[in-house]
Amino acid sequence: MAKSGGKKRGPIATALGRVPRWVYLTAALVLAVLFPLLHSAGLMDMLWIRVAIRSLTFVLLALGLNVVMGETGLLNLGYVAFFAIGAYTTALLSSPSLGFHWSFWPLLVLSMVFAMLAGLLVGLPTLRLRGDYLAIVTLAFGEIVRTVFLNVTSITNGAAGIPAIYTPNIFGWVVTEPPQFYYLILFFVVVVVIALTNVKNSRVGRAWNALREDEIAAIHSGIDATRAKILAMVISAGVAGLAGCLFAYYQSFINPTYFLFMQSVIVVCMVVLGGMGSIPGAVIGAIVLDSLPDVIRATFSDWLPRVFGPTFMASWPAWLQSFFTDFEKYRLLLFGIVVVLVVIFRPEGLLPDTLWRSETHEEDPREQEYTRQTLFDIDEGNQDLEA
Amino acid sequence: MAPVLELVGLTKAFGGLTAVNDMSLTVEPGEIVSIIGPNGSGKTTLFNLVSGIYEPDSGDILLEGESIAGLRPDQIQAKGISRTFQMLRLFSNMTVLENVLVGMHSRTKTRLLGAMFRLPWVTREEKEAVARAQEILAFFPGRFSGPRQSQPAASLSYANRRRLEIARALAGEPRILLLDEPVAGMNPAESLEVMQQIRELRDRGQTILMIEHDMKVVLGASDRLIAMDHGVKIAEGDPQDVANDPRVVEAYLGQRDAAAS
Repeated sequence: MAKSGGKKRGPIATALGRVPRWVYLTAALVLAVLFPLLHSAGLMDMLWIRVAIRSLTFVLLALGLNVVMGETGLLNLGYVAFFAIGAYTTALLSSPSLGFHWSFWPLLVLSMVFAMLAGLLVGLPTLRLRGDYLAIVTLAFGEIVRTVFLNVTSITNGAAGIPAIYTPNIFGWVVTEPPQFYYLILFFVVVVVIALTNVKNSRVGRAWNALREDEIAAIHSGIDATRAKILAMVISAGVAGLAGCLFAYYQSFINPTYFLFMQSVIVVCMVVLGGMGSIPGAVIGAIVLDSLPDVIRATFSDWLPRVFGPTFMASWPAWLQSFFTDFEKYRLLLFGIVVVLVVIFRPEGLLPDTLWRSETHEEDPREQEYTRQTLFDIDEGNQDLEA
Repeated sequence: MAPVLELVGLTKAFGGLTAVNDMSLTVEPGEIVSIIGPNGSGKTTLFNLVSGIYEPDSGDILLEGESIAGLRPDQIQAKGISRTFQMLRLFSNMTVLENVLVGMHSRTKTRLLGAMFRLPWVTREEKEAVARAQEILAFFPGRFSGPRQSQPAASLSYANRRRLEIARALAGEPRILLLDEPVAGMNPAESLEVMQQIRELRDRGQTILMIEHDMKVVLGASDRLIAMDHGVKIAEGDPQDVANDPRVVEAYLGQRDAAAS
């Protein structure tokens, strides 16, 4: 199995580990803020800003799912339902379809509130269930929500979806262009990262982790399991509602096909890839998994031809050429392969919550066989009794 | 003074098996009471009843005169009964310090919004909780010092994991501490150390109810001893007397062997 794990780290990893965390965080933030300038400077196609917006939307979803799945240990396979509820709330109340034109902040809050209510609704009866059962119930919930949006045609316009969603106007800042949306979503990613990190390192987050680690011990430490799980479910739903609101504004058109079961699965893959329970992991996992297909396609259809000349693939079989240049078609295949590789070679994820390492890689050598001393083992009189 | 814990005719049956049958006992403040009995005699079931995993079929559980029968485990912990487990139940991937902090859950107040915005009083409470947790860990001198507090609980030695479980239970500031085989799996030297620490806890005023098989520890630490067999109390009183009680010996060894000795 993976020999890279455990406490033995290579010299590079050790050196990287010595750099204080704030350096990484600041660097990441600076890069993220400067990213759209590449486009303004003419060095990058607008496409990549669109990819980044999509990736950041997935970052929000992965961060939210990480709360229930990574931190509390509850598998939710219908997570996209909360995303859909947020998106439809915004779409219906800020488009000509029903004639409403609510402004940005109230809608943002309302999208989150509706998603959270849905989280509460599905959480109350189901969080007594464990493991596989919960996964099945949430999976069904995800499908129900999508089917409802598909079939309540009088309100949601069914499969045709809701077009012409108004652009957000935030205190006079009208957000229309992709770079503007990029900064808007980036702002909320930063806010959510900070809020969730604070919660994680608090009494509330510790209660979630304790439930994930050992529910019996957790309730005997004074944690109300049902309440804590519902809280996790509601918070996680709220983040998805927020993502849905921003998604609807950005797309300016939504229909039920954006909220297929596969989206839930992809977000689960992102959390696993990044490292269950790790907030930086969720961010990296979402960005890598979402942008990888575009990067691969661009590598073969744009970057490599520029380096090696436009015909460098000419001798390749046609199917192989189209495999790389139309890589979007094969993204699910890629996700599957990536997740299988991660689970085999790096089960703690790309950026694990450091604590997770110990469980997934190494067995504690000091662990002793559980031996129980019986009543008379030490008592010297037991020899007489045996005789 | 009222007894800290009083069990009145406590009965619990699983199907046809009466695991705990009409069990009554009291634990006075500042006392260490131990329960012994062969495997399957109902000791752990008794603990599970007191700590709220099971609801008693009949009888009552009084904590300082107040009935707690039927409450959930977390409510019972908040009222002041903390426990450890026969098979270790630590939060393996959380740090040593976090394990103790989780034990303080019912003694701290931070809620979601306070935590999210890291309000000043939340930071203060967190600081106080960490200081208190370190104080509790210091009860086991040299075992959880410095950097070890930020290691995952899974990295600890077996004996230290047992100690950490006791520390986590103490963090709930229990009126009574239930210890389920605190020295199980420890070597004699470690057992002796833990026994002395249990006595030290008592000297600090901690009331303790303990299940233990190691007779050195039982006889060395207990103020009073209760023997159970088949869910029934078969003897109670001075530890030495109970250990030598013919009914107790018989419960462990069977009649003929007892006669042979």
